[in-house]
Amino acid sequence: MHGGGHERGMRSGTLATHQLVGMGEACRIAQAEMSSEAARTLALRERLWQGLNDMEEVYVNGDLNAHVPGIINISFNYVEGESLIMSLPELAVSSGSACTSASLEPSYVLRALGMNDELAHSSLRFSVGRFTTEEDVDAAIAQVRRAVEKLRELSPLWDMYKDGVDLDSIEWAAH
Amino acid sequence: MAYSDQVMDHYQNPRNVGKFDDDDAQIGTGMVGAPACGDVMRLQIKVNDLGIIEDAKFKTYGCGSAIASSSLLTEWVKGRSIDEAAQIKNTEIAEELALPPVKIHCSVLAEDAIKAAVEDYRKKLSDA
Repeated sequence: MHGGGHERGMRSGTLATHQLVGMGEACRIAQAEMSSEAARTLALRERLWQGLNDMEEVYVNGDLNAHVPGIINISFNYVEGESLIMSLPELAVSSGSACTSASLEPSYVLRALGMNDELAHSSLRFSVGRFTTEEDVDAAIAQVRRAVEKLRELSPLWDMYKDGVDLDSIEWAAH
Repeated sequence: MAYSDQVMDHYQNPRNVGKFDDDDAQIGTGMVGAPACGDVMRLQIKVNDLGIIEDAKFKTYGCGSAIASSSLLTEWVKGRSIDEAAQIKNTEIAEELALPPVKIHCSVLAEDAIKAAVEDYRKKLSDA
């Protein structure tokens, strides 16, 4: 094999052969199970969304039809994303909120989807995978509902929304 | 992101969450930040005739550090005069909560909030 002459010229390259074989086998399995897995993860994702979408001011982002089956991005209006993550210690989710990075800008992806900054700051990305069960999804639903309720009690924006104030009309004293 | 124990404590047991009546003459309200920035704090103080803050309440839309900064502030201002309260520095808050550099702006917002609340109260007094 041409190359840098590694392995005493036996085989150039420092690639881990066993990992290569493993990757190939994983791809074979993925291809064989792709349709059934897609259906399964889609059902779980739907279950998650159905468990949350009756809450007030909760929106799904992106087109659920032209969409990878196992991921869903949801905005919980008037609750900031990072504080939501903090309330969900048992879930590995990520936030469109700026606070999760060194920059204070919200996710450019969510912005490109047409979302305003505030909703972008209030979004969580959930994903379900090969080992996710219905019990996992149900537990996540319960935790998310509790967390959103608790954080809305702390939120001045939720107060204002409940009082019928139009948040777009306010002149914010931003820093 | 690792939070300090102090931040987690305030986050899990926030002090003085709530709302006073904005129109009450004894109440000063400071609302700072913006939804577009991911941080909004509303801080309210109840001031007696001697200019001492008898009670304080807050609500915050923001990350754990923002919630903790405003919660801590409500604890600190109780019993202080409005002059003293307006002197609280964000660095004191940041130190108490062991805020990392990327979260210092939360303490700055809290400092802005108490100043805004004091100013609102003073304005009410002078308009009265």
